[in-house]
Amino acid sequence: MKLADCGSTWTKILDVESDSLEIITTREMVRRNGSPFAVATGHSAEKRCGIFKNELLALAEGGLSFVDKDDFSIVDVGGRDIKYIRFKGRKVKKIDWNLACGATTGVTIELLANYYEIDFSSLESVDSWINVTCGVFGMERVLESVSNGESPGRSVAEFIHGMVRNVFNFTQRPSELYLSGGFCDNKCFLDSMDKYCKVIPLGRAVLIEGLKNEIKY
Amino acid sequence: MENLKSKKLIGYYGFPERSVLRSVRERFGSDLEFIDLDVARGAPDSMVIQSTTCRIIANIVDNAMELSKRLTAIVADVGEGKCDRGRYAAFLLRKTGFNVIESRFPPEQFEKRPLVYSTAEGSLAERVDRIMQTVIQSPSSVNQTRACEPTHGFWGVPPHDFRILDIFPPTTHIYGWTRCVEAGSPGDLEMECYVDENVPTVFFTQSFCAKQDLAHHLAEKYDGLFVDCHRDVNNSILSKVEAFIKLSYPSR
Ligand code: SF4
Repeated sequence: MKLADCGSTWTKILDVESDSLEIITTREMVRRNGSPFAVATGHSAEKRCGIFKNELLALAEGGLSFVDKDDFSIVDVGGRDIKYIRFKGRKVKKIDWNLACGATTGVTIELLANYYEIDFSSLESVDSWINVTCGVFGMERVLESVSNGESPGRSVAEFIHGMVRNVFNFTQRPSELYLSGGFCDNKCFLDSMDKYCKVIPLGRAVLIEGLKNEIKY
Repeated sequence: MENLKSKKLIGYYGFPERSVLRSVRERFGSDLEFIDLDVARGAPDSMVIQSTTCRIIANIVDNAMELSKRLTAIVADVGEGKCDRGRYAAFLLRKTGFNVIESRFPPEQFEKRPLVYSTAEGSLAERVDRIMQTVIQSPSSVNQTRACEPTHGFWGVPPHDFRILDIFPPTTHIYGWTRCVEAGSPGDLEMECYVDENVPTVFFTQSFCAKQDLAHHLAEKYDGLFVDCHRDVNNSILSKVEAFIKLSYPSR
């Protein structure tokens, strides 16, 4: 039995029997055109599964099973959207979901990183930032900064820092924040976030974890 | 457009004063029907208004252009109960040749009508629709309803695309401008900002509407969900509201 979180860029597939997690591009998942997943969530999942689960519900349930505190905030920063939940007494107190704006999502960073061939494993965070009021305008600032002589690495790190500030504001400026999604592997993002609050990365399988309740009975 | 083939009509938008609506009817013919121009009626894009404007204003202008000569007059709400865009739309429509009668609904005219549909149990879309009908109907025509304790709240104006209302449970109370309309007090800012503190509420606005500032502020203050939508609602917006409704509960 397979559970899947089919994001706009990456698809995470859990084989329940072997407990193995496979991460492939969503393009590859679409190309494979395999049999439908038992339970799935995410932008590209709705027509490809037996049971479809709303992403925010998956994040809520996944967050609760990963974190055993009563009060906490969790954010999932995806390629195309950002989801946020604040729990109080293990009950949802506040949720938000931004699906339209590239100022808080990963897609622009991926575009920049591919364009400038940035290796995130060695990219250092920086104290300065670019105002990323809009993902596209922010990208323009990076291009301009590079053309004015700044190194691509530093410019992209400034962009990441600008985006981190947006994520911090979006999540209502918590003192501690649990992070879900691909940015858990991005040291520059984590170090930039650390300038504002304590960030605890939970990895890329939080939403998948939130699907497990659907197969318990 | 709807089954309105050639009848002469009086168009209106927002919440004009009742005395203005009455006098317009007396002047142009008591048999003329009113038509709410705010509502999406499938009129083609008149291209009079730029695309990055509030969809309700675009509906007003597109409906007016489509109905054209059938509109004997347009009663335009240009007061604080509407917005500057409503005032400018009145100006543009007059320049285009329509007979525009302005209404401002000053606070002295606020009516303090009882809230029936805002606090009743039942389909949210139907109740919003009924509230908007009270603009041209007398209070005595209000249908029987049953009040309920709210589990959720909807704050805002009647949306361009009513499908967003269909996902709310029947125990949703109505707040914001729509509630003010039912109370007969369309520009009452205090009432517009009122919500039941413990009721999880979706603060809805059309994109490019100044009410976004208010909705954002209230959503922060009451841990609600701020949603704005331009034209038709999409799956992403519906999923977001659906998740909020499922995950939140009244904290009593
Ligand atoms: S939705 Fe806002 S901008 Fe649009 S007509 Fe209503 S008040 Fe004006």
